Amino acid sequence: MIVALLSFTQGLKQTAAGFVHLGGSDLGIFQANVSDPTASLLPESLVARVASRPDVSAATPLVLIVEGLKSDPGAIVFGADPSGFFYRGLVLTAGHAPVTGTQQVLVGDRLASTSHLSAGSPVTISGHRFTVSGIYNSGILFEDSGAVLELPQAQALTGRPGEVTDIVVQLSPGTHASSAAGQIEKEFPGTQAISDPQQALRAGANSTLISKAILVIVVIALIVGGISVANTMAMSIMERQGEIGILATVGWSPWRVASLVLSEGVAVSMLGAAAGLLLGVIGGGLLVKALGVSTYVTPAVTAWGLGQALLVGVAIGVLGGIYPAWRVTRMRPLKALANA
Amino acid sequence: MSTPTGAEVAVERVSKSFGRVASLRELSLQVGAGEAVAVTGRSGSGKSTLLAMIGGLEQPDTGRVLIDGRAIWTEPRPARARREEVGFVFQKHLLLPSLTARANVEVPLIGAGMHRRERRRRALELLAEVALQDRAEHRPAELSGGESQRVAVARALANEPKLLLADEPTGALDSATSVRVLDLLLRLRDQLGMTLIIVSHDRSVGNRTDRTVTLIDGRVEPECSDVELYKG
Repeated sequence: MIVALLSFTQGLKQTAAGFVHLGGSDLGIFQANVSDPTASLLPESLVARVASRPDVSAATPLVLIVEGLKSDPGAIVFGADPSGFFYRGLVLTAGHAPVTGTQQVLVGDRLASTSHLSAGSPVTISGHRFTVSGIYNSGILFEDSGAVLELPQAQALTGRPGEVTDIVVQLSPGTHASSAAGQIEKEFPGTQAISDPQQALRAGANSTLISKAILVIVVIALIVGGISVANTMAMSIMERQGEIGILATVGWSPWRVASLVLSEGVAVSMLGAAAGLLLGVIGGGLLVKALGVSTYVTPAVTAWGLGQALLVGVAIGVLGGIYPAWRVTRMRPLKALANA
Repeated sequence: MSTPTGAEVAVERVSKSFGRVASLRELSLQVGAGEAVAVTGRSGSGKSTLLAMIGGLEQPDTGRVLIDGRAIWTEPRPARARREEVGFVFQKHLLLPSLTARANVEVPLIGAGMHRRERRRRALELLAEVALQDRAEHRPAELSGGESQRVAVARALANEPKLLLADEPTGALDSATSVRVLDLLLRLRDQLGMTLIIVSHDRSVGNRTDRTVTLIDGRVEPECSDVELYKG
């Protein structure tokens, strides 16, 4: 479970990284203090003002439509300016770019694969019928799992003309992203400029909630694990009282017997951790697939994550074995021998 | 094997109760170094409790137990004293079932921190002493009752104790095997000079030891006849 949770956390960070650097941007500007960055609203007129900054090389607006695609509610539909770097960065692998003014849409190659779409396929977006004009690849999970409309069409679908979800920015060479983000926020009060994935995770209450929820779940899992080990070891001690009595009778000190109990607890936990690692790696991937949330998060198993899970396994063994080991030191040999 | 000397045992006005049942009542007893003593009496007379007190497995409510003039069971690290001074043999052999005969004999030596190679050598030496060197790699389930008890004797001698305490060592054995085990204990006493205290229902054990001590209702009755001992 620890492995699955850690890999989800890592996957969440990677997803956040993709979210922050949409279109290969250096940072994204959102409305400040929103519960979710996808709920952000900014005036389109802000784009020109941002682009005019000396530390900004290019700025382009995006509208994000969430749960707009009927065939895959998890996919995001992007409304983008065809002259902006986001749109120009899409590499067409089939079909052609949409003709301006028509009900045509580009879909990402990942979405096309999972939803069995090709050029000419019909799709429904926010209740409106569109036709797939082409398939693209951008190399970013979020984008390739979604679709791209022209900006005015997306604004019409959301009923918010003149407004955008965020402004993605490419900085001038040599500009430090975090410093530029701070200055942008200062020049345009009410905005939040996000340049790294951690900021994206903290940007909205929902993301923070998810991170905190994972932390709580991990702590609960650790407590339950520790109690489980302690209970198992305590029961084992009770069943092996006779054996412990014999060891005490032949001159083993209470602490030597206790260390035997503790090392058994650690050994059992390590075996459990190893088995859990395997199950966590396999189970995490299966779970994401089963729930259909791979657009938002893909478990990312790292060596450090596996190492952490193993350390946690050992720690649980030690902590869970402490109480049973202490009980052993309090045992009266004669009473224990009676159970031999 | 090297020759341990026997320990002097002094039990001074020891009392012990378990709940409302008084097991020992101001019992006093002296056992000389190297002496073999049989402790007899009816069930419930306090024999096993006395042995547990002498071996430090129980603490008296009042009184004290001295080994070679020292109250070692009240000193720090009683487990060490138990390891270095005393060997136990019980009615049930109490061997660890998952270990071989050799490994069972090694268990006290592990507690003593002995090196693995030396432990193995000593265990095999002890098993040879009890004529079981050919059964060293057999588990208790593969040994007879008498053989298991002899392994238990070898284990009791592992750390060269000065005092060997045997609680009904022949209680679960047939008469022929009982004789052999008793012969073994007494031979080792003669050979090693250790003090031997045997608790037994069997009156014939007392015929083989230097002295017999009889307990009645938690007290020593050394002058008690058979009739007095077993009257209701």
